[in-house]
Amino acid sequence: MPVPILLELDRVSKRFGQVVIADDLSLTLEAGSTLGVVGPNGAGKSTLFGMVSGDVAPGSGEVRFAGRSLHRVDAAARCRLGIGRTYQVPRPFVGMTVFENTLVAAQQGGRLHRQAATDRVLDVLSETGLLASANTPAGRLGLLARKRLEVARALATGPKLLLLDEVAGGLTEPEVVELVGIIRAVNARGVAVVWIEHVVRALLSTVDRLICLAGGAVIGDGRPEDVLALPQVRQIYLGSAGSGPGGPEL
Amino acid sequence: MTAPTGASTGYRVRRLRRSALWTALPSAGVVALLAYVPYVLERKVTDTLVDFFILLVLATTWNMLAGFAGLVSVGQQAYIGVGAYAVLVLAQQGVNPFAAIPLAALVCAAVSLPVSWLVFRLRGGYFAIGTWVVAEVFALLVIRFESLGGGTGANLPGLDGFDAVLLGAMTYWAALSVAVLTLLGAYLLLRSRTGLALTAVRDNELAARSVGVRVPRAKRMVYLAAAAGAGAAGAVLVITQLNVQPGNVFSVKWSAYMVFVVLIGGVGSLEGPILGAIVFFVLQRALADYGAWYLIVLGAVAVVMAVWVRRGLWGLLERFDVRVFPTGFWLQAPGGDVARPPRDDPPPAPRH
Ligand SMILES: Nc1ncnc2c1ncn2[C@@H]1O[C@H](COP(=O)(O)OP(=O)(O)OP(=O)(O)O)[C@@H](O)[C@H]1O
Ligand SMILES: [Mg+2]
Repeated sequence: MPVPILLELDRVSKRFGQVVIADDLSLTLEAGSTLGVVGPNGAGKSTLFGMVSGDVAPGSGEVRFAGRSLHRVDAAARCRLGIGRTYQVPRPFVGMTVFENTLVAAQQGGRLHRQAATDRVLDVLSETGLLASANTPAGRLGLLARKRLEVARALATGPKLLLLDEVAGGLTEPEVVELVGIIRAVNARGVAVVWIEHVVRALLSTVDRLICLAGGAVIGDGRPEDVLALPQVRQIYLGSAGSGPGGPEL
Repeated sequence: MTAPTGASTGYRVRRLRRSALWTALPSAGVVALLAYVPYVLERKVTDTLVDFFILLVLATTWNMLAGFAGLVSVGQQAYIGVGAYAVLVLAQQGVNPFAAIPLAALVCAAVSLPVSWLVFRLRGGYFAIGTWVVAEVFALLVIRFESLGGGTGANLPGLDGFDAVLLGAMTYWAALSVAVLTLLGAYLLLRSRTGLALTAVRDNELAARSVGVRVPRAKRMVYLAAAAGAGAAGAVLVITQLNVQPGNVFSVKWSAYMVFVVLIGGVGSLEGPILGAIVFFVLQRALADYGAWYLIVLGAVAVVMAVWVRRGLWGLLERFDVRVFPTGFWLQAPGGDVARPPRDDPPPAPRH
């Protein structure tokens, strides 16, 4: 039995002035699968997430989720359909506690009430290791906890598709291992995961499929090892910044 | 989607860190004291307090608009005016002006719905200007009606039979009731499910949308509620002045007051506008003899607050964890409080 398609980008184009983010880009993602996204800085990876989550309108083309067009569907409705996302630069609700940050996601995106919402929050906070910080105002969290909160909040909405934007950047090795464990557990429950990450070793231990985005096109798509071995992928990294900030940290 | 991990066993969620009585009893005491004022103090004092209550209502509703929903309106005088004229029209039809106060609030909420369809198409500065234009248009429309006194306004009928002292006291109680109901309504709204969503919008609108908050719906609700509040304030204003002057009720000065009060007191909290209204009111009385200087000083204070003390006087106090009206949640672990861990790393450095 074929696995149903969850997310479909159909000939999507987007540009900011001269900067081409996507040029007639098509992509499909199966339900419950994992996909890693790499590409040089400014390639448009985060903007691609924006087009899926509803923050950015595509110039042309169509995004479909679970067989349904997302044209004119706003970000809140997309979340309620099952698209959860994190932001590369965390966007916590700084005046609210960690508990409240997650609760609003469970209530609004997850459409849960009372005890069901609380239970969801407690599950998510314990899973992401934030339970002990539940009463801390999000504005007082450090960067690592903010990144965890991004993940917790997205999970609290009960997503079918989880979009992770560089959640492993700046983490130490044991922290990366812990995060990978969390994400694999989420995926094991049937949540599809798309993960943008420069820390390639984290990706390699999590995703079954990798794409490389550059110049508005998918220049590599397949098993992670195969994609990283492609000459055009190596060319971009070696040509642009070597193993510097733009390249994969292997 | 989330695995049941059984994490919830034994955890309890409380709405307040302390007992609810800590908020309810002192608040009830203050209201009871204020309600007693007309029996002991002269008319001059109650009239002054009526002005204060009007200011408090306007500031509280403007704070809900600008501080929570991100709707920086400079046109709430549209609803002060509509509320005032609603009382006038109803009184001309024989309705008791005091009974007309809640009706005026309803009229304003009803009027604000179609207006919201119009002004919500505008963003930021355009929204602000748009709301002002709406207020001006309302003023221009109203003065077309001869029965409403045209450009000079009209006297409020229906209160001639009252004894002056009794009327003063009744006006005072009406203003106090409107202020208490407005604060109570704002408090209950912020404690509700919608209130948590609004607080998220206050802190980060984009992230709020991404976790499923229906932002336009929440904003519209606040806009309607704020219009009702401004309408009630306008209704009380007419009753204190016993006449309606279009140049006064539709004046943009009301918006200036609201902005001053909320900037001084602190945006985005319930307590801020109360504190701001007190400070503003004292400053206004103290500087009243200095003519235009008082506006200059107030303006300077507001600018200083806006630039250097972003969350106002209340923001300074909040650092010490003081809260008069707690709206948040508090998670209690099975064995007591969940631990407050030390910071796991230094505060975030700006990236990119
Ligand atoms: N709203 C916008 N308006 C104009 N330009 C934009 C906007 N958002 C992003 N850009 C530009 O589009 C390009 C792609 O940005 P994006 O953040 O999507 O890249 P990215 O692949 O996520 O990069 P990074 O790896 O650094 O996170 C960048 O050049 C950026 O400056
Ligand atoms: Mg990015």
